[in-house]
Parts: sequence; structure tokens; C-alpha cells
Amino acid sequence: MRLSETTFEKIGDFKSFFESASIEAKSPTEFLSALDRTGIESNVTEEGHLMIRYWQIGAENFVSPEQASIIRTSRPLPDQGDNMDWLSKNLQTIRQENCGKWVAVYNERIVASSSTLPDLMNQIKEYDRPLITLIPAEPVIWTFAYAL
Amino acid sequence: MPSKNFERSVKFYEGKTQDGAPVWLPLVEVILITPSNSRISLSLLFDTGASVTTLRADLYPLLGLQSWNEGLRVPTGTGGGQVDAYQYTANIEVFGKSIQCPINLLQTLPPHPFFCGLLGRDTVFNEFGFGFWESTHELFVTENP
Repeated sequence: MRLSETTFEKIGDFKSFFESASIEAKSPTEFLSALDRTGIESNVTEEGHLMIRYWQIGAENFVSPEQASIIRTSRPLPDQGDNMDWLSKNLQTIRQENCGKWVAVYNERIVASSSTLPDLMNQIKEYDRPLITLIPAEPVIWTFAYAL
Repeated sequence: MPSKNFERSVKFYEGKTQDGAPVWLPLVEVILITPSNSRISLSLLFDTGASVTTLRADLYPLLGLQSWNEGLRVPTGTGGGQVDAYQYTANIEVFGKSIQCPINLLQTLPPHPFFCGLLGRDTVFNEFGFGFWESTHELFVTENP
């Protein structure tokens, strides 16, 4: 199997950009802004590490859609960040701003909210695997009846 | 003494009841493939007591339905007595496997920000093995039972 030369050129471009931006930026904030302008998703962790994600097509039509389906179920999906973890840590703030609304969480942020689920679905068509949940207006009931 | 190996673990999340008592919830992120081929993540409570994977009724638009109760009526026993659930079939991805399984919609599941349904046994549990340590809030999963 052989990847195209274009693929290697693009990876090289990315490395060059990263090196030059890290030299030119006068502060971490400037560097993050440079990443934002280039469309590179970034996240500064609680420990202070800079995490980046830059999706680049490595090889177009690498496999058929049928083969892709098989491969995708046998390999771990790329980490999106732990949306549930983020939701649980930030629930109080999220509740204040989205009480009674459906929300979509993607890459540890709310990317859409709506009072109706169909409207929310219309807003999130571009996202792959956003986490959807309802932020209840009423207090959570813990002693519920569930299916047996 | 049997020995089992597990490749995955399920994370427990801490919720608080109204009086502030901690409740630990084993939550599983399940990807639902909608009829329009969108992939939506839903957090479901891992529930060995639920015979069928069950979603709150108000999620019916995700199954491409016009109303929650247009499927097969299934009288269902719940902790609060017998109620009607409505059953559909859906494609989900869970613990790295794609599974077509029955999904019940139920009106008596109250809204909760951390989960919108129950991951139940029918079809889904056949694919996996589970190891459960309640005292340490650990739930382990193997794809090769």
C-alpha cells in the first residue's frame, strides 16, 4: 500500500505551520488564536498541556464504504473528549443557561440547544456523534419506575 | 477458579440526590444510527434489570417517528406497575460493535441530564461479557465472552 505524495506534502505543510506559529506567537493566547484561524481544533487541559486535533485526508477512497463499515466497527473511534465527563462537571452552569432545553455536546462544549428535539437535530447535522441530552427544568427524580 | 479478561471499562458518574446523597451511575455512551444515517451519542444507564434497551418516549424523533406510540405495543412491568411501552428496531453502536436491536420507548422514564434511557439485555448483552465490582464502582466489558 502506498499513500500519495500529496499526503506527505500536506503533513509537511502542517509541521511547518506548527513550527513557524510557535516561534512567531508572542504568547500562548496568540498561538491558540493562530490555531483557531487555521481551523485546527485545540484544547488546553487542566494540567496545562496543549492538545490539538487536525484531521487531514490521508488517502481518498482508501477503502469501499462497505469495507469502511467493517473497519469502523472493529477499531476504536477517535477520541472526542469525554463529553459526559464535561457535562457532569459543568452541569450547574449548563442548567442555568439551558434549563428545559435539549442540548448537543461536542468536543466538551455545547454546540446547539433548543426547546424541541427536531430543531436541535437540524442544528447539528454537521457533527458526528454529538451527545444529546435534555436538561430538565424540574428537579431530577431519583426514585423512578423503570422497565423490567 | 475462573479467570476472565476484559478489554473495556464503563465509567461511573456521580450524581447527587435532592438531599445531596451521592449516587453512582454506570453510564454507557451508545451511538444511535438514525433513519437519516446521522450518528447521535446517547448516554444510557447500564441496567441488567431492563430486558430491552429503553429510551424516554420524547426521543421518538431520533427513530424517525411522528409519535412515540406508533410501534408494537408491549405491556411492560416497571417498578411502578405495568405500563405500555412501544417497540421499534434500531441500529446502535456500543462497546465498538454495531448491533441491530429492539428499542422500547417508555413514557415513565423521567428526564435526567446524565442519561436518557436504559441499556438493556435483549440482543445487546449477548454480544458481551461483563464483570461488576459495585464497591469500587467498576464495570468491565469484554467483546469476546
